[in-house]
Amino acid sequence: MIRFEQVSKTYRGGHQALSHVDFHVQPGEMAFLTGHSGAGKSTLLKLISLMERPTAGRVLINGHDLRKIKPSQVPYVRRDIGMIFQDHRLLMDKTVFDNVALPLIIEGYSVQEARKRVVAALEKVGIADKVKHYPKMLSGGEQQRVGIARAIVTKPPLLLADEPTGNLDPKLSMEIIRLFEEFNKVGVAVLIATHDLGLIARLRYRTLTLKDGRMINDGLEDSEL
Amino acid sequence: MSLLFRNRSIEKGASNRGRLPWWRRLIMVPVHHAQQAIASLGELWRNPFASFMTMAVLGLSLTLPSSLYVLVKNTSTIADNWQEASEVTLFLRKDLQQSEIDTLKTQTELSEGVESVRLIPKEQGLKEFKEQSGFGETLDYLSSNPLPDVLVVIPAESYRSPQRAEELLNRLEKQREVAYAKMDLEWLNRLQGILNLIEDILGALAVVLCLSVVLIVGNTIRLNILSKRDEIMVMKLVGATNAFIQRPFLYTGVWYGIIGGLVAWLATALLIWWVESAVVDLTELYETPFKLNGLTLGELLIIWAIAVGLGLAGSYLAVRRHIQSIEPE
Repeated sequence: MIRFEQVSKTYRGGHQALSHVDFHVQPGEMAFLTGHSGAGKSTLLKLISLMERPTAGRVLINGHDLRKIKPSQVPYVRRDIGMIFQDHRLLMDKTVFDNVALPLIIEGYSVQEARKRVVAALEKVGIADKVKHYPKMLSGGEQQRVGIARAIVTKPPLLLADEPTGNLDPKLSMEIIRLFEEFNKVGVAVLIATHDLGLIARLRYRTLTLKDGRMINDGLEDSEL
Repeated sequence: MSLLFRNRSIEKGASNRGRLPWWRRLIMVPVHHAQQAIASLGELWRNPFASFMTMAVLGLSLTLPSSLYVLVKNTSTIADNWQEASEVTLFLRKDLQQSEIDTLKTQTELSEGVESVRLIPKEQGLKEFKEQSGFGETLDYLSSNPLPDVLVVIPAESYRSPQRAEELLNRLEKQREVAYAKMDLEWLNRLQGILNLIEDILGALAVVLCLSVVLIVGNTIRLNILSKRDEIMVMKLVGATNAFIQRPFLYTGVWYGIIGGLVAWLATALLIWWVESAVVDLTELYETPFKLNGLTLGELLIIWAIAVGLGLAGSYLAVRRHIQSIEPE
């Protein structure tokens, strides 16, 4: 599903965020990506969602080389990837409904056609009753659920989450992770970047570890032991 | 459209999503445009002050050239009328016999380029002068009539242009009986020159004003875009194309044009109304009934189209530069 081949990323100014990263996440797999702050987790996710381009090496999704994706095609790639952020990235002056419906509207659905899917997505994350609320009226955990609903409303085959539990207490964090597990059960590949080692330890999923831009553990040796 | 997952619609599980049939998508295109147009109008309504300022600037910038245009148009019609009716006046020598005058009249009537000839005998001339000049009885004290006999020559259709009429004038003046001939074309030429100058200035002014309108609209839209930076980033993150993000801003520009065009109409109409009373007063002094021609429907529509075009151009300029440069971080 996601394959990195000798990927390096050096930012302008000389900061090397990633160097020679190799790994492969299978379709339908759920994996954690961990490492200290500044280890390159966010950069790695940005390379998948084409917010950044690698300096060297190549990134493949479903066998497609992302180097061949032209800037005008980037939006279509992003429609295949559900993205979840620590700061939710919700539109604060729009209702929960409008926020979740946004990806569908972008794809050309009418509001009526989008309604059923939006309600279904909100039910899946357990906040169907908040459809007319504004994000400001919701708690941090609920806002994160809106972000997740928005990411899954188009049913993408791949979910990326950048510190989805960053601002949540352990109980809420576990609930969010359980949600991801549910999506994973129906075949969605999920890659979660987090530095919450406690959370990872309680779960038995593949964990990729970055340190200073290098992949020091791609999580496969552990499973072989 | 899925680039990475060609068979996404038939993949099992989570990827099993219903796609819209093509005809539904086709119908959705105009519906979407209408929705976004109305949505941008609503957006304007929410921030009426800033948008109204821009629309007013757009409208008032167009008012000046369109009012000047009305002025030039009306002056041209007046000039054209006078040009058409140009007549040659022949002042005859005073020592002529009545028979000589009649012969000359017949001769002139028969010569090339003359449509008709009217004789104003000196007695009639004096009578008319007495009535119109206001000297009245005073003229009775004159011992003899100082006025010459006059032949008024109306040139034929083909001799009415300034150059041909001038030819005719020269030819008629050469006759022995004619003291001198007169045709006041000089001032018409000057008027034409002035009109041409005003038209040139009008053109240059219109270009400069239109350019500034484009920049002003562009700047307003640019500020609009920057104030929605976060929203645009989020939209890009969930896969919106530049075209999709641009559309509402382009519609905003179109609305600026539509409403700015209305402002231009209104302001021009007001200005013409204001000037008209003064023009009527002036023409009454000359005893010529005159109606100031306003803008025709066609011209109003052209002004409207220009306004919409300028609004669209301004927003396109801003959108091109700024939507592309906002990338999610």
